[in-house]
Amino acid sequence: MNFKKQFKEGLLTKNPVTVQLLGMCSTLAITTSLFNGIGMGLAVTIILICSNVLISALRNFIPSQIRIAAYITIIAGFVTVVDLFLQAYIPALAESLGVFIPLIVVNCIVLGRAEAFASKNSVLASAVDGLCQGIGYTVALVITCVIRELLGSGTFGGGLLNGGEGIRIIPAQFPAMQMVMPVGGFLVLGFVIAASQWLMKYLEMKSKKKEAAK
Amino acid sequence: MKTESTVKYVLRLALTLLLITAVVAVALAAVNSVTAPKIALLNAQKTQEAIEAVLPGGGEEVAFTDDTGLVATVYQGNAGYAVKVTPTGFNGTVEMMVGIDPSGNVLGISVISQSETAGLGAVSAASTSAGEAFRGQFAGMSGSVSVTKDGGAVDAITGATITSRAVCAGVNAALSCVANMG
Amino acid sequence: MEAILGIIISAILSENFILVKFYGICPFMGVSKKIDTAVGMGMAVTFVMALASAACFAVNLLLVALNLEYMQTVAFILVIASIVQVVEMFLKKAVPALYKALGVFLPLITTNCAVLGVVLVNVQEGYNFLLSVINGAAGGLGFTVAIVLFASIRERVNKTECPECFKGFPIALIAAGLLALAFMGFSGLSIF
Repeated sequence: MNFKKQFKEGLLTKNPVTVQLLGMCSTLAITTSLFNGIGMGLAVTIILICSNVLISALRNFIPSQIRIAAYITIIAGFVTVVDLFLQAYIPALAESLGVFIPLIVVNCIVLGRAEAFASKNSVLASAVDGLCQGIGYTVALVITCVIRELLGSGTFGGGLLNGGEGIRIIPAQFPAMQMVMPVGGFLVLGFVIAASQWLMKYLEMKSKKKEAAK
Repeated sequence: MKTESTVKYVLRLALTLLLITAVVAVALAAVNSVTAPKIALLNAQKTQEAIEAVLPGGGEEVAFTDDTGLVATVYQGNAGYAVKVTPTGFNGTVEMMVGIDPSGNVLGISVISQSETAGLGAVSAASTSAGEAFRGQFAGMSGSVSVTKDGGAVDAITGATITSRAVCAGVNAALSCVANMG
Repeated sequence: MEAILGIIISAILSENFILVKFYGICPFMGVSKKIDTAVGMGMAVTFVMALASAACFAVNLLLVALNLEYMQTVAFILVIASIVQVVEMFLKKAVPALYKALGVFLPLITTNCAVLGVVLVNVQEGYNFLLSVINGAAGGLGFTVAIVLFASIRERVNKTECPECFKGFPIALIAAGLLALAFMGFSGLSIF
């Protein structure tokens, strides 16, 4: 068990969004308000943990020829459960995320972790992996959301704070609307990934310097 | 290596997959039986709230004739009609309720569901000051409505002309439907 | 007729699956380094999307008849996975040349959200059989247009110099953003 290493991998060095470039569809599409980002992040994290645990538990039972079909069925099951619960208990979020909830089925993060991690590791390690990758996904999503919302709508915490209106930071007539449109998604994510690449280089240099100093 | 015959092997694959699918199906049926009534209740509640928001006192469902293809349901009450219309917006269908008094004036509109861009078209449904201002301007209008860009009197939501046009199309469909009913 | 034309134009231009609706970003970023492969991927996706739209329309009728709407996601993804598998086997036997060209892309299509996306949209919008298939094929064409355009931009972008931390995906994403900006110009084209 190496929780710290898995956590660091999920958050930065193997972040599903900025490094593995998985699940880009939802990352680009729904990151227009903080509410969406947190909701989507939590939904994916829950599904990741559940599917990782179940697939890891069944890893010796599922023949390898049909594993992809079996994984996808299991994942689709969990996704539908989350979808139904959201519709029943958090209808505002279900409406805001729309078709991107069922589309979590084909979010490569979930299938990718099932194939790359859960099918080879113990149940506990898989659960931790699901949690860490989910947190990494959520963090990347939330950062993108905050930037896009601030530049595009001029607010912070839309859908959550200040009775759903968000806290206005930039006066209403100034924000660049394009940032909450598709264009902004591509641009902001490009800069977020660039920043994470820079951060990783920086940390690497720092640790090298430390070693050299020794 | 196991020495299974091909037939047996294929059968084992098929059965495993069938078993997994069956378990998933049963689990989903269980979850659905819990959530389905709740979702149905929420939807019914939402429709009821939308009717009462645009038509004081609410109303009962009545038959209607519609040439626009946008009208879904018409409710008639003491204060007039509430018409549920489904125009197409920027990202998909905008489901909304339009209240109209017997002499053909708009009483008010409310948006039930939409999938427009957050911060732009979604303002049409938001319970914010901007959203209320947009919906509020329809009250009292009659005949045919359109956004200022198209020569009408409706101020479009900033950056969401298509959504605003869709809402106008919905209101127009409702107006003509009620006019047909006399 | 107007409805059909409207669907085709909006699926290819004003509501382009990739650049406006964000379906199928993974293959868009993954298989767009060369124009030839982009064309191959686009064709394979178009084919599968049209086929999946047709098959899932039938499956959905069955689900609705049995009151099993909540099984939609599970059923559709299984149908798509099987279609991809069958297409792969069929092409391998019947048209080896085409299989050679498209073969590597086929398994990737199962997890392409454009395919599941178009099927779910068809059901949500209540399209009939013909409109579903047309929406699927036109969506696939839109995907092809976007990915081929993007691949040709990327071939050039990769030869230019840019700040180190932007190398690779960041600069590609920014190029995609500019392409999306260009496609925003089509948004007035929608025919309702």
